[in-house]
Amino acid sequence: MNGIFEFKQCVIIIKSTGKKAKNLREFRDALAVVSEGSLFHHTYQYLLKGHILEYTNDFSQWAGAGLEESALSEQLSNIDPYDFGATEALRIELLKVVDDYLEGFPEPRDAMPGDEFFFNETITLVFQAGVWVRNLAEFLMAIKYIDASSLYYHFFDARRRFEGKSNDFSQWFDEELGKKDLAEKLRFIDPFMHNLEGIRARIAAAVEETVQQDLESAGAAT
Amino acid sequence: MIDAYKGISPKGDLVLLRKFGKVFANKTFLHVNSTREGGGVAEILHQMVPILKGLGIDARWDVIRGDGEFFSITKKIHNALQGNEEHFTERMWAHHFEVNRENAGKLDLEADAVLIHDPQPAPLINFRKKGVWIWRCHIDVSNPRLDVWNSLRKYCSQYDAAVFSVAKFARSMRVDEFIIPPSIDPVSEKNRELSPEEISETAKKFNIPLDRPILLQVSRFDRFKDPIGVIKAYRMVKKYNDCILILAGSLATDDPEGEAVLAEVREYAADDPDVFILLLPNFSDKDINALQRMATVVLQKSIKEGFGLTVSEAMWKEKPVLGGAVGGIPIQIMHGITGFLVHSPEGTAFRVRQLLNNPDMAKRMGERGKEYVRANFLITRQVRDYLSIWYAAEHKGSSVLDL
Repeated sequence: MNGIFEFKQCVIIIKSTGKKAKNLREFRDALAVVSEGSLFHHTYQYLLKGHILEYTNDFSQWAGAGLEESALSEQLSNIDPYDFGATEALRIELLKVVDDYLEGFPEPRDAMPGDEFFFNETITLVFQAGVWVRNLAEFLMAIKYIDASSLYYHFFDARRRFEGKSNDFSQWFDEELGKKDLAEKLRFIDPFMHNLEGIRARIAAAVEETVQQDLESAGAAT
Repeated sequence: MIDAYKGISPKGDLVLLRKFGKVFANKTFLHVNSTREGGGVAEILHQMVPILKGLGIDARWDVIRGDGEFFSITKKIHNALQGNEEHFTERMWAHHFEVNRENAGKLDLEADAVLIHDPQPAPLINFRKKGVWIWRCHIDVSNPRLDVWNSLRKYCSQYDAAVFSVAKFARSMRVDEFIIPPSIDPVSEKNRELSPEEISETAKKFNIPLDRPILLQVSRFDRFKDPIGVIKAYRMVKKYNDCILILAGSLATDDPEGEAVLAEVREYAADDPDVFILLLPNFSDKDINALQRMATVVLQKSIKEGFGLTVSEAMWKEKPVLGGAVGGIPIQIMHGITGFLVHSPEGTAFRVRQLLNNPDMAKRMGERGKEYVRANFLITRQVRDYLSIWYAAEHKGSSVLDL
């Protein structure tokens, strides 16, 4: 990084897989064979789409809003995709939750026509946002104004690159600026309990606090 | 041109559009549909082509010509794709192809990317010269007459990609199928900011009092828009909250039932002085804009719908919207966040009362709705998506593309 943090952002274009499910058994069968790209889209990319925070992925949203199966929706919402190194492991966990539900609960009704689950996948375009910063003060300015998809790329998408344990911002604070506490603070923001604007506000608040502390220490030293 | 969207569209979309402008500088992008005026496709092309040109892309828009028989056939195709029973003969399909063949001889189809809109010009793919060819289907083809779909699919499956507005409108084909919702233009006459004077001018023109909450539905007089259900809901609300209802719309020239529906609506409204039934001529964009801006709650209580862009239009004006949970409406309304999805006149009345009695909630929903539209349903996003598909078609094989 050479000390500089360069913001990237991304855009997703949705592609239909042609697969759909009108009830839980069809859903289970499709879930078993649908592409990894589709699983990725309906779980990891959920937060990029600006949904409400009652659910954490498209599967739990469909179980809750489409089938009105609250218990299944809760189970699916609780799956953290970043816990799984490979998408296939995530598929096994999703199938286990659905299978357990089919075994232990009465057969859910079919979804209303038009409310079926449509399995999609995406093409992601990644590009430079044209914004780069050299220090925390500049970062604070930038984080307030960069596009939401940039936050998604560096905070959520980056988690896959760090096995669910970090994000691009924390890595930069830690490795380039030596701000380990700030890096840790960001790593502990619950990614599923805020929308992108909520994440933005929390990152900005944490950085602002550190900048103020730095200014106060610099003032005390002179 | 793109500067007109600065401060309105998401910054990221504008950054990407400018990048695409460099990638596709001076390349040719041809759009073909079947009408220059009227209908949503022509409206969006009137707005989109200048944006593409402004980015440095050599965009063109051509229209195919045909005789009365051709358009009667394509109307039947349209209806059959939406599930209506229609009778077709081999001769009709031959005429459909022949008219396209004649057009192919007259049009300059040489372009780096070609976007063909809807079934009318779909056979032009047989006269492809070069470039990426994309078929854009604006119709809900989820439950078509299969014989008609199979005849049309002969053409559609030859394209590099197909585009549908909503996943549930799509049909499984052997080409890449992208999902791109339609959009509104925030700087157009229908959606631009209006001064208070402009709004009161429209109110005065239609004798609409501004002293009480206004419920508004803007739509064609069509049974699928359920105008009678809207009046029923209004009457239930009126028991508890004083308000007025405006039903504003036009008569579509291709809908012979429109007059009958309008008469039914007028009869059902009886002589309630607080129900305003406005029959608007074409090109009433500014009046529609003003009506949406003066409304307290906007309704789109459809029981069958295409995409229903009036929902996004109202959300852009910071209005809470109640919509039927059909077609593209659930994609636009986040239930409980930007408005409510409703399933009956009773449900509609209940939600209207909730909003009239909680102005803070209505305001919050309106504000969130505007931001949701900004992120998802502005024309700059749609242009961005078309150019992304073009780019993806030129870089097949990877699901992540670095630009």
